[in-house]
Amino acid sequence: MMIRPELAHWLILAIALFSIGLFGFLTQKSAIRMIMSLELMLNSVVLSLVALNSFQATERLDGKIFALFVIAAAAAEVVLALALFVAIYKQQGTLDVTEMRELKE
Amino acid sequence: MEESKALVETLFFYGFAALSLLFALGVVLIRRVMWAVLSLMSVLLISAAFYLMLGSEFLAGAQVLVYVGGIVVLIVFAVMLTGIHTDERPSFLKLFNGFLVATTFFIWSSWALWESPFFRNSNGMEQGGLSEVGEVREIGLRLMDMGSTGYILPFELISILLLAVLIGAIVIGRRSSSS
Repeated sequence: MMIRPELAHWLILAIALFSIGLFGFLTQKSAIRMIMSLELMLNSVVLSLVALNSFQATERLDGKIFALFVIAAAAAEVVLALALFVAIYKQQGTLDVTEMRELKE
Repeated sequence: MEESKALVETLFFYGFAALSLLFALGVVLIRRVMWAVLSLMSVLLISAAFYLMLGSEFLAGAQVLVYVGGIVVLIVFAVMLTGIHTDERPSFLKLFNGFLVATTFFIWSSWALWESPFFRNSNGMEQGGLSEVGEVREIGLRLMDMGSTGYILPFELISILLLAVLIGAIVIGRRSSSS
């Protein structure tokens, strides 16, 4: 008697990954670590999109195309955020979000 | 034959799911930043395997190219440029609050999933599985389709977004190095 992975299993997995990412995003101090948690959350959303597409709308492709756009937007967001973080670190010497108060020195 | 295929699929799903959750916990809990980045890379690679199991080879490839080949390398560069290799442990109150919020979110969403109509209907719904070779071709045609179901406008918008981000990153990087 085996339990085949159904849609609900995939979605529960995606929710669990998202929760872990949310936990990390709320507790990390370093801005780079927060971006990494954000990636975890985005990745779980993409996983849920692909799972829904594959189970609920087998003959359509819209979920996969949405997932592609999410991946592209995530890449853009990370590039800009990391460039900003490196610039801020050069200016202020810290990336601790609890200590950063302003963007100008 | 069909039986053993289902068995392998189930074993792969639960094994990968457990590994993925473990590595995700590593991303948020390990204090050494490089190890956390490696954990993140493992989570993303396992997600690519999930996409293969769900029958979309193109997304698996894009995931490996964009996330593992691009984003993880960028994060490694940022860590090395800033030279922060270990993080200090966040305060207990912060950990407790984060845990509370995350657990509440998990329980709430699981409850919403349990109550939703398609959770009931999904029993016996057959999964698509590995499609024929035409998936990449279909996605390409849909992205370039100018009809009412096509995605040409979002496709062009994301191109403009990527171009703007490219220019923005160069400008920010140059300004910080010249000053």
